[in-house]
Amino acid sequence: MATAELSVKLQSSSGSKIKDFLNANMVNILAAFLFLLLAFFLLYPIAAVLIKSLRGPSGFTLQYYQNFFSKNYYYQSLINTLLLGAINTAVCLVIGFCLAYMTTRGPWILRKPLKIISLIPLIAPPYLFALSLIILFGRNGLVTRALDLHWELYGFGGVVISQTLAFIPLAYMMIESTLMSLNPNLEESAYDMGASEATILRTITIPLLAPGLLKAALLIFVMTIAEFGNAAILGGRTPFLAPDTYTMITGESDFNMGSVLSVVLIAPCILIFFIHNYLLEGKKFTTIGGKPVASEPRKITPLIKVPFVIITTVAAGAIFVCFAVVFVASFYKILGVTHNIVLSNYLDFTSNQAIYNSIRVSFVAAVIGAVIGVLLAYVIVRGKFFGRNFIEMVSLSGFALPGTVLGIGYLLAFSAPPLKLTGGIMILALNCVFRFLAVGVEAGISKLHQIHIEIEEASADLGASFLTTFYRIVLPIMFPAFIAGFLYTFMTAIVSLSAVVFLVSPGFELAAVMIFDKAVYGEVGLASATTMKLVLIVVICMMILNYISNKTRLGSSMKKTAAV
Amino acid sequence: MKGKFIAVAVAAIFSVVLAGSAMAEEINAYMGTSPENNVKIVNFIKQKTGITVNQTFQSFGEIEAKVKAEAPNFNADIIVGCGSPLAFMAQKNGWAVPYVSSGWKGVSEVFMDKEGSWYNIANFSFVLVGNKDRLAKAGYSMPKSWKELLDPKWKGEIIMPSPLSSGTANMMRFAFLALYGDDAGWKYIADLDKNIHHYTRSGNAPTDLVGRGEFMLGLTSDENVKKRLDDGYPLIWTVPDEGTGYDGTFALILKGTKKQATAKKVIDVLGTPEFSALMAEIGYVTPRPAPNKLYGQTLPKYIKIDLGKAAEDRPKNNDLWKQKFRTEFK
Repeated sequence: MATAELSVKLQSSSGSKIKDFLNANMVNILAAFLFLLLAFFLLYPIAAVLIKSLRGPSGFTLQYYQNFFSKNYYYQSLINTLLLGAINTAVCLVIGFCLAYMTTRGPWILRKPLKIISLIPLIAPPYLFALSLIILFGRNGLVTRALDLHWELYGFGGVVISQTLAFIPLAYMMIESTLMSLNPNLEESAYDMGASEATILRTITIPLLAPGLLKAALLIFVMTIAEFGNAAILGGRTPFLAPDTYTMITGESDFNMGSVLSVVLIAPCILIFFIHNYLLEGKKFTTIGGKPVASEPRKITPLIKVPFVIITTVAAGAIFVCFAVVFVASFYKILGVTHNIVLSNYLDFTSNQAIYNSIRVSFVAAVIGAVIGVLLAYVIVRGKFFGRNFIEMVSLSGFALPGTVLGIGYLLAFSAPPLKLTGGIMILALNCVFRFLAVGVEAGISKLHQIHIEIEEASADLGASFLTTFYRIVLPIMFPAFIAGFLYTFMTAIVSLSAVVFLVSPGFELAAVMIFDKAVYGEVGLASATTMKLVLIVVICMMILNYISNKTRLGSSMKKTAAV
Repeated sequence: MKGKFIAVAVAAIFSVVLAGSAMAEEINAYMGTSPENNVKIVNFIKQKTGITVNQTFQSFGEIEAKVKAEAPNFNADIIVGCGSPLAFMAQKNGWAVPYVSSGWKGVSEVFMDKEGSWYNIANFSFVLVGNKDRLAKAGYSMPKSWKELLDPKWKGEIIMPSPLSSGTANMMRFAFLALYGDDAGWKYIADLDKNIHHYTRSGNAPTDLVGRGEFMLGLTSDENVKKRLDDGYPLIWTVPDEGTGYDGTFALILKGTKKQATAKKVIDVLGTPEFSALMAEIGYVTPRPAPNKLYGQTLPKYIKIDLGKAAEDRPKNNDLWKQKFRTEFK
């Protein structure tokens, strides 16, 4: 590096001075630019929510918080929300782990079908499960009637069940990719040396997975307490913060109390975020998007096998049944009430525009998000400027940010001139970019840690400009991180309701919001058919993306071998 | 090479995705009738004027909140379908563009503002719906008066919308207050609360939930009942002896719109007899008299209501409602 600088200085004429300056300081310039973006689109909206929760018509006040904590109702709402988050996270982790274990270590024939069942609901809106549960187990549901049961689906239990089913796929996806990147040799040699399955799980697999599990836990907890569809449909009289926040903002336009509710929602998330960081301190990253290694099927002892098979069967079965109900419901006017099979739900094209919009928003968000994610990761790992840790913390804080907060934040921050962004595609896309940024950034960081800076230095020494080095060396290495960020943003943006619901405007309806409205209105057939269309289109998109990324991964790995 | 090709392809898709929207005469609207009725109205306007109306469905309450939050920089050009509180508020605060429409000539003044700040495109009321099958199974008959709903046998079997998010529920609350007077009115609402299973977000949702048999009885907006009956829900409906309340469905042009000419054309077409006929067909009571699909020739008995006062009292009543029903967790 030093020699490079020296030679650069010796050669420099006045004309290329600017160029050299740029080359030498590109990282810092980039960092400054990215920081501005983060400040503007992430910190500013959060600050806007905080300020709104503290400022009444006559200056700063704690009155709104006092209002919150002095009312039993809100207090109960908070407890319910946290309890829901905790139960949900725990159950999702256990089931997600069992599913992932079976699809990566279990018998071959089970792997593919289990994987498909676990992943398909990921692209359907989470509140779909509330719909299916009402059709099956509601007070007048098909199963309830058939068995003449008397139970109450509306309430805490119903919300927990539907929300858990909704987030199993996310848990599965995250745990499966960490399991895949875990080299099975370690486990296999332990097995060869006579260690029992339980011992291997306890002493090797789970400890090695801990960082991944922890990350999954954090993500699920944050998503689950913010996603309000299931709670709004099945909650009955049981209060939860997310739907309350929604009513507070959209029904009563009480932005002060709405902000208080979302700030209260952030607090536990931030706390868990810091605990998570503390626990991971000094531990090696095992992340999403690692190198996948297929593991041979293993003889699993009955002690492990039986509970795993039971849990897996129940979970996959429940997901499958709920999804099947939606599929069947899409062919009936109202499933359970009328009995003729119709195609009219599919021939109703009013939702086409919304589906198209959703895909547009998600695509734009995914591209921008993946690019910013990769650049941020680069700056964080390679930069040597003051405030690097701060940028890292801010860009990873997305993990701990409930969707409602950024939804309200964007509404508060960008709805009046000169910063008027509401109404249209960009506000929705940007919102998704900054909410889901963390995954891409983290994948990028872990990728960059895998390669030594010497390669880049060598490139610079040989006279390559910053851009050439970045394009020829850094980008190919980071491509998997780019894909990880892209896919995660694309998939979550398409189904998530919690933030965008505040930001849709006439002429820019999104599928997730539209399906929710139809569902709440009882147009179950239409809601189901729209969901099926959405799922189909997203599956096709994913297949195309997969094809492209496979091609390029091939290309980039070839480049890498050539470089070596 | 391959990488470059993909980069170009992605960039191309990206720009196509970012661009792209039609060139025809368009207008953005907040529309608060149900999603299916919104579509009917949009299609009608398209057919009669060629104007494409972009809309997202939101309930009356939500539109009100949104407009309040956005004022005075609205994201829509026009409202087609909001409740009286917002219509009166918009008139008072100057959020509406006054326009005296020739298309509304001859309509009774009850349905339009003299200066043309708002137009009432259709009145709706609330009715009591019951699930035939569930009632028969329990051996109960349909209640004939609102008072009968207080019978403990209905506990957990009645569903109604929440006045915090639904304009229909606001109308119900105000109708009961007008019927019984403030003190007895609030007592009635509190007693009724003991039998209510939960409060839904939108004013139409109870029709569906009762239709599917999730609950036996529902207080619900009348406009969608006809459609649900036609769809085959085992529903029975009635207006109890004391009568029902009513509210308008208002249309107005939002200040700051760059599409005033288009907006005026939309207002004009909403005043035509054909439009009244469409709304009456759905089940509304319309500015130009047309046979109503739900009620037929004889309109139901109405409780006398002062819409202006109802609008003014709404925030106060919301606070009171929250104090009574949302302070303690039940």
